[in-house]
This record gives sequence, structure tokens and C-alpha cells, in this order.
Amino acid sequence: MASPIADLSYRNYDGPLDPPALRWWVIARAMMNLNLKRRVLWLFVALSGWYYVGMIFVLFIFDQFAASTPAFPGAPNPAKEFFGRIIWKDQFLHGFSYGQMLFMAILLTIGAGSIANDNRANALLVYLSKPISKLDYVMGKWFGVFLPLLLISSVPALVFYLYGALSYSSYGFISSDPWLLVKVMIALPITAAIQASVIVGVSSLFSQGRLAGAAYAGVYFVSNFFTQLMKGTWFGLSHGGGGVPMAKSAVANLFYASFDGINIGIFKAILGTDGSMPFGIPGNAPAVPRPPLLPMLLIGAAISAVCLVVAWSRVRAVEVVG
Amino acid sequence: MNVARISNLTVRYGNFTALKDFSCDIPEGCTGLLGPNGAGKTTLIKTLLGFVTPASGRGDLLGLDIAKDGKRIRQTVGLMPEQDCHIPGMTAVGFVALAGELAGMPQAQALRRAHEVLEYCGLGEARYRNVETYSTGMKQRIKLAQALVHGPKLLLLDEPTNGLDPAGREEMLELVRSVSHGKGVNVLVSSHLLPDIERVCDRVIVVMAGQLRAEGLIKDLKRITGQPIDVELRESNSGFVQALSGMGVNIAPPKLTTYRILAPGTPDEIIKLVMTAARQSNAQVRGFSIAQRSLEEAFLDVLTANQ
Amino acid sequence: MIELTNASRWYGQVIGLNDVTCTIGPGVTALLGMNGAGKSTMMRMITGQIRPTTGDVKVFGHQPFANPEVYKHLGYCPEIDNFYEHRSGRQFVHYLAKLSGFSESEAKSKTQGVLERVGMAQRADAKIAGYSKGMRQRIKLAQAMIHEPDIILLDEPLNGLDPVGRREFINLLATLADEGKTILVSSHILFEVEQMTRSILLLHRGRLLATGNLTALRDLIDKHPHRIRIESSQPRDVATRLVGLPYVLNVQIDPRGDGLEIQTREPGQFYDQLPGLVLDHNLAVSGFSSPDNNLESIFRYLVEA
Repeated sequence: MASPIADLSYRNYDGPLDPPALRWWVIARAMMNLNLKRRVLWLFVALSGWYYVGMIFVLFIFDQFAASTPAFPGAPNPAKEFFGRIIWKDQFLHGFSYGQMLFMAILLTIGAGSIANDNRANALLVYLSKPISKLDYVMGKWFGVFLPLLLISSVPALVFYLYGALSYSSYGFISSDPWLLVKVMIALPITAAIQASVIVGVSSLFSQGRLAGAAYAGVYFVSNFFTQLMKGTWFGLSHGGGGVPMAKSAVANLFYASFDGINIGIFKAILGTDGSMPFGIPGNAPAVPRPPLLPMLLIGAAISAVCLVVAWSRVRAVEVVG
Repeated sequence: MNVARISNLTVRYGNFTALKDFSCDIPEGCTGLLGPNGAGKTTLIKTLLGFVTPASGRGDLLGLDIAKDGKRIRQTVGLMPEQDCHIPGMTAVGFVALAGELAGMPQAQALRRAHEVLEYCGLGEARYRNVETYSTGMKQRIKLAQALVHGPKLLLLDEPTNGLDPAGREEMLELVRSVSHGKGVNVLVSSHLLPDIERVCDRVIVVMAGQLRAEGLIKDLKRITGQPIDVELRESNSGFVQALSGMGVNIAPPKLTTYRILAPGTPDEIIKLVMTAARQSNAQVRGFSIAQRSLEEAFLDVLTANQ
Repeated sequence: MIELTNASRWYGQVIGLNDVTCTIGPGVTALLGMNGAGKSTMMRMITGQIRPTTGDVKVFGHQPFANPEVYKHLGYCPEIDNFYEHRSGRQFVHYLAKLSGFSESEAKSKTQGVLERVGMAQRADAKIAGYSKGMRQRIKLAQAMIHEPDIILLDEPLNGLDPVGRREFINLLATLADEGKTILVSSHILFEVEQMTRSILLLHRGRLLATGNLTALRDLIDKHPHRIRIESSQPRDVATRLVGLPYVLNVQIDPRGDGLEIQTREPGQFYDQLPGLVLDHNLAVSGFSSPDNNLESIFRYLVEA
């Protein structure tokens, strides 16, 4: 008969212990739980899909106009014109590119401290004393940035797609490019993967989330400035008429030499579009042509690989010498 | 039954050889790991955990090969590191539960067990607070908790009383002692504080310059041949010394007011001699016990003997 | 030497020291207390880093706060571990020697001397970033000693040292004390403090709880009568005899059957009567000792009260 007074002293754990696989998921999950609690993240998330929200609103308005009968037959219908010139795939491009700043903020919020905070708290000593490998750790951190980023960038796009497919198939939403959804769902993970790799690599170089974030933001803005210069140069070259075509295309490709640029460049290349005016505003947008796909993918892959190798080499528990 | 068996282990960091042809057996129970700084204790611990690949030799920990089964070893071993470490941004419960999950426990079990272990380590309501707000003593307990959460068969403790005040040290040593005696958890404690090791462990292993210098039960290491006796007086008294020498007792010069004497016979008999001498010389005897070397003295003897 | 008179210090609402009055003279004095008792505050006051909010602190009759004259006589070996990591130990100590006002050649020779004294002469040329804890402690002590101050304050100096290093450090402090210096050591490792000195200063929650000599203090702790453990093969016989003595308050038989423990407020009387009991009444005693006559027990009794 068991004793009525329980023995609450230490007892050993004899329960189930999973074999050491999928530990990276544990790390990723813990990271995501921690990040989900940060309110500023939700603010950024809410704002990041602003183009899609705006566009849905614009489309809805024009749809109403288009449905109403004209004042007199033969009169021009601006709504119909609007739907005539709108390039559907560009809407996804704009949704993606106009959210870049916010995606950057989100990336910093969830990723800048990912390894940096662990460096400061010496958490690696705890992690590495458990049955996980360095690969689990780096993969877990990477995934903890990649998955939220992917979800945050995909959900508005998918909602928009659904809205468009249901309401505007008569305007050629689906027929203009039947593979559009597939292309978007390929481009988003690729860009999210590159961004996740970069921030994880940068985070591993520092012992403070803030410094890592500042470093990333610094490179981001400096490279953006550079690419704006390139854009200006490109305009100059294209309006000047002459100019060496090779220089022009080189400059055009350099436009994509920034964090945003890589994202947008890959997105454009996969979607197969050069860009146009946002919100269906009439006019010919001076859009820098899209870069070639394969080189962009290779560059993106190379950058990711370098960052991940940096993270890998920086991950080690504290050593005491002597 | 040995917890670990190490044979001819050599570990190198670049040019520096940390462990040279090291062989020892770590028995069940609670063992202390002693050695001067730089002797190779930390290297030994890291090698046991499978962090470091040895240049040669082999080792067996709980039936697992340290060179190949690193991950499985870390599933049955818990490490309480010396340095401050925690996972940022979490409460104590969250941290310990995560440690359990990382060790392979299913999520629900990990949380339940985290509470159990934190209770055992003496953290009450404080477990719901962020670990970053903790005092040194509490941080040490968390480290112990995360090492115990997955029910390890071997617990490796590196300076467990680091930074603790006297009350905290008491409690930590109590915790370690109670987990190691009677609960089936083997413990290896590495520390410079020898009285702590004396308190908690039954055996020690002494490492010096990458090699095993001594090992054995603490009782045996502390024993002095011939069974001398320490007699403590209230104040030094030469009459007492004379009286005892007169009885044929070998008496050494005092340390403060304690005299070490050597005489034939059992303590019961010797005490009569001491009391007679005390009466004769009007000395007040305040202590009479079988002399033992402290573990510290034994350790220093081992070190100097081998230099 | 060092005098505190009603010194208090608080940080906002948090009390650091509360109305402490004491004098610290030559020799080794141990500063003890739980974490947060005010030991660091007191050290910082003495080394002139902070001023008492009320009350007075005087070192050699002068206020130490921002007073370079006093600093000349003070050496401080703090607990924290911040160095110029890219410099070598020798360069660091040399630099601090120059800061103390020595000329280049004097600083050089003094640095060598002090490094030898702390046992770092061989290893002082490597960068500090690669030093172990023990080596850092020695460098800290070296810089505290280099200007030959009359007062040296050490905060947890033995942290990280191995037993050999500990022994050397303790011996070094004893030598310095013999030279007439005032040494104040703050430590949690009570069994080591016991080896260094018998005179203690115990702080508790900012207040001075006890000062003076260990044995004197033990006698004053009324609440906990002295415990004396007696080894005997016939504990119950011995117990029967002893319980009849008027000053024996308590007799407890060890469940292992190899001895007993008595409690008394008059240990002296017991020790005086013991020869008679053993010789004349044939009391079967094979050993005795007092388990709580050490610093750890005294500390525990004082602090829990």
C-alpha cells in the first residue's frame, strides 16, 4: 500500500525521451513563441500588407464604377480603362516591394537578436550540453526567422490572390498569367530564405541584438542609397538617348545591389515583369528592367551561404584557456 | 560497476596537449574531480560530453562511446557549467522546460518535470520571473535544474557553489548531496573548494598536467598512518607537554593550541594519559580526536609529491 | 587606521549601509555577510569611490572621497574583472605603477618585484585576454600592492584560484599583515577566512552585526549553547552520568550508537571536570570535540537570529 505521505524529494525521470532528431524544430518553436509576444512585431505585420489593402480598396471602388451604367452610350468609362491597363502580376510585385521597409523592420525584430542575445547570455553553453548539434542550432535559428517571415509576406499576397481570382477573373486576373500563384509562391520563400540567412549571419557576429540590428540596418540603408544613385544614373542614361547599351544594362543591374534590390530583383525575375505604376495609375513608369534570373539566384545563394558559414563558425561555447 | 571507463585518452588543442595518455575509471556514486588550474579537468569534462574528439585512446560512458555517441551521451548526462549561462528572454520554467525538450522530452512532460525540478531546487514563486532578474544564488539553482530536468544518470557539476554566500552554499551542497545519495544519480563534481567536495563526495580523482595523479576514497586519502591524535588545549602549556613526554608519548610542537600526539594503544587508553597530564599541569583540554588530514592537505601532498 | 562613525549610505530607497561604526586596525580582518549585506558598499566607501550619505568615514584621519593623498596609502583589489585585455599583465601593472607617480625605471623594477611576489613573473608577458581566473586575480593583487600601501582591501580575492594558489595567496596576505599593514578581506568562503584570521566584521542587511574575535563571539551567542560531541562505545552510560551535571542543558544520543552530544552554556566548566570524570569515574570516552566552534556555525547563528 502506498504511504499516505508522499515522498516529494527528487525522483528520477523515467519517461519517454525522443531520439535526438528534429531538435532544430524545438529551437525554432521556442524562438517563434518568444517573438510572437512582442507587440511591436504585430504592428509591423499589420502594416506590411498595406499595398494589398490599398489595392483591394482601389479595385473595389473601380469595380463599382465599372458596374454602373455610363451616363450615355459611347462615353469613356475610366473604370473599364483602368481594368484594361492593369497588369495583375505587377500588383504582387508592388505588394512585395512596398512592404520591404516593413519586412526589414520585422526581420530585425525577429532576427537581430537571434544569435546575438545568445552570445551575451552564454546560452550556447546550455544548448551544446544537450543532445543537439551545431547544425540543429543554426538551422533552428534560421527556421525561426524564415518561417514567420514567409508567413508574414505570403498571407496578404494569398488573400489578395483569392480576392482577385474570385472577383476579377473576368478582367483577366487568372488568364493573364495562369502560373502567377506558383511564381509568387516560389519567389517568396526564396527571398525569405536569403533574408533569414543574412540576418542570422549578422546576428552571430555580435553580442547584442541592438548592434546586430544596427549593423544590418546600416548596410541596408547604405546599399539602398547606392541603388538609388544607380536608378538616377539609369534614368539619365535612358533619357539622354545615347550611352553605351552595356553601361546602361550594367547600371540597371546594379540597381539591384542592395538587400531590397536582391529581393525585388528576384521577385521581378521570377514573375517576369519589369514593373509599372502602382495602383494602376496611368502612365509609363520609368521602371528599371528586371535583372537576369539565374545570376540573381546564384548571387542570392552565394550571399546566403556566406552568411550561414559565418554563423556556423561563430557558434561555439565559451572556452577558458589556461 | 563503473560509470565511465577511460583508457589512454590523449586530447590536443593545436600544439597544446591537454590530456596525455589519461586512464581512469569513474565509479558509481559521487566523485570529486580535483586538480590545479590548467590540469585538464575542463578538457576531461568536455571530452566526456563528446564535444572534443580525442587524438587517441577511447572512453566509455554509461556504455556509450565518447568518440561516436556524443549526442546519446548528452541525453543521459546533465552539465551544470561554471560560467553564467541562460537562454535570454525566458522565465525560469520556460527555460528549464526548453532544456528538457532539447534533451528529448515531449513538450508536456518537459513542462511538468520542469516544475518538479524547480521545486526540488528550492525555487518557489520566483520560477515565473524572467531569469535575467535573478540573483547569483538563484542562477546557480537554475543551472542545476536545467541539468537535472531530463533525469540524467550522470551529473557533471563545475564549481557548483561559485558566487554563493554561506547560506547559499549550504543549500546547494545539501541539494547535491541528497541527489547523489540514494537517488541513483551519479555525480562528478569539479571544484577548487575542497571542503565542499569533502561534504558531498565519497571519492576523488586528482588530475595534474593532463594525467591521473591519484584516486580513491576520501576517507582513505585523509587517513594518517599510525593514528595520531589531535589534542586541543585552551592555551599552550609546557607542563602538559612535559607530563605527556614523561609518559612516553610522542608529542609534536603545537599549531596554535593544538598538539598532535602519537602513542600506542586505543583512544580510550590514550585519553587517560592525556587527562592525567592535564590534571598534573592544570591544563584545560578542549578537544581530543583522531587526527585526519583535511582533503586540502591530502591534495597538496599529492601535488607536491609528484613534482 | 580606518574609522567609520555612524556611516550610512543608501541608493534611492535601497539601503547599502545603515549606521555602521567600527575601527579597522593592522592585521587581517575579514569582512563577512550575505550577498547584499553591504560589504561592497563599505569597501567602496573606504576606497573613496562613494561618500557616506550620513556619518563619517576616515582613513588615517582624512576623508577618502576624491582624496589622492589617501589613495597613496590604499590598495584595492576589486571583485570585478575588467582589464585592458589586449595588454599584457606586465604592461598593465607597469601602467598603474606610473599612475601612482613612479618614474619609468622605478616603475619597471617595482613591477618586476611585485610580479615575483604574486608568482606571475614568468607568465606576465602574455596578453590578459588569455589569462585564467587565477592569473587575473594575481594581477589584481599585484596592482593593489605595487605602491606599497598601508591598507589593502580585497573583495573575493580567492575566487578562481586552485588550492595551491589559495595557499600562496593566504601566505602572502599573512606576510603583508606581519609587515604591519591593514588588510581587509571580503569573502564568502568561510573555511578559508578562518585560516587567515580570527578577527571578523559581520554585516547583515546593511547593519553591523558583530565585530571582534571569533572565540569571544562564540561565547556571547547565548541562544545557541555550545555543542560538544563525545565519542563513546557506551553512550548511554556516559549520558546518564552527564545529565546529572547542573550545567548540562541537553543530552542527545547519536542514533548510530557511537556517541552523544551535549549542550551547555558553560563549556569551560565541562572541560575542567572532564579529567576527573574520565580518570576517577572511569567514563568511557574515546574522543570529544566541539562541532560548532567554527566560523561557519558562528556565521549561521548570528545571521539567522
